Amino acid sequence: MTNIRSGYLVIEGCFHCRNRISFFSQEPGAPIDDYREGEHFWSHLAHYQASQFDLKCEKCSAEVPLREVMALMLCMKCNPDCGVYAAGTQEPGQKTWVYVALCANTSHSPKKCIPLKSLGALNEYFNHGIKDPAKKIVVVPCRSRKSVDVCQGIVLADVGLTDLY
Amino acid sequence: MRVSELVKKTGLKTFNEGADKEIMGVYISDMVSDIIGIKEGHLLITLQTHKNLIAAANLVDVAAVVFSRNRIPADDVVALANRAGIKLLGYDGDTWSLAKRLCELKVG
Repeated sequence: MTNIRSGYLVIEGCFHCRNRISFFSQEPGAPIDDYREGEHFWSHLAHYQASQFDLKCEKCSAEVPLREVMALMLCMKCNPDCGVYAAGTQEPGQKTWVYVALCANTSHSPKKCIPLKSLGALNEYFNHGIKDPAKKIVVVPCRSRKSVDVCQGIVLADVGLTDLY
Repeated sequence: MRVSELVKKTGLKTFNEGADKEIMGVYISDMVSDIIGIKEGHLLITLQTHKNLIAAANLVDVAAVVFSRNRIPADDVVALANRAGIKLLGYDGDTWSLAKRLCELKVG
């Protein structure tokens, strides 16, 4: 893991088209202002302290930038019809944990998501040190998710961090 | 040192069964966004008791999680840790006291 960047995962919604977007902000405070962008009227929905990172090969020093990955989310297996759920059932006998790599455009209106190269690197990185041979981490793109509205996944961000102190 | 041996030597509370893993190192953090960068097999010491922390701890395959300052995880947090086979431990004192004790025991 390299180029670790601390900041905020910011989620906005457009009341006009009902799309949702997210972005990673490295500003000292999370931006919360509403703004207009063409036909969209983006309003702040939520933000969480989070981090972005890239991956670097320890042997050849090749880097895989992961700027498209806004955050990772653990699948809680809420819907058997969901593509993310299905990704965790493909190897019976394995203790498979599926994490969803979330891209910036939650609604996927531009038909883009996390690149295959990034997913390959994430899967390799999070599996290479696991000691339990039956355990497996599977990272899938968020376009596999059936519905963003009813998804019960756990986003790996610092929810409630400031409530602690 | 294995987690079970650490529990015997320090008297840490246990909140669930969990796997008895070898402790490869120790990491102290309260930030999920920080935890996802650690290596596998670490004993994670934290004040956070929410489910996001368990999701991150599972991703990086921690040896166990210790909640310091007498923090107690909720039932749904323990249930998620059980599914992941992550042992949850508790320590009444502050994180620094525990860190000193772990150093004395040469943990990690």
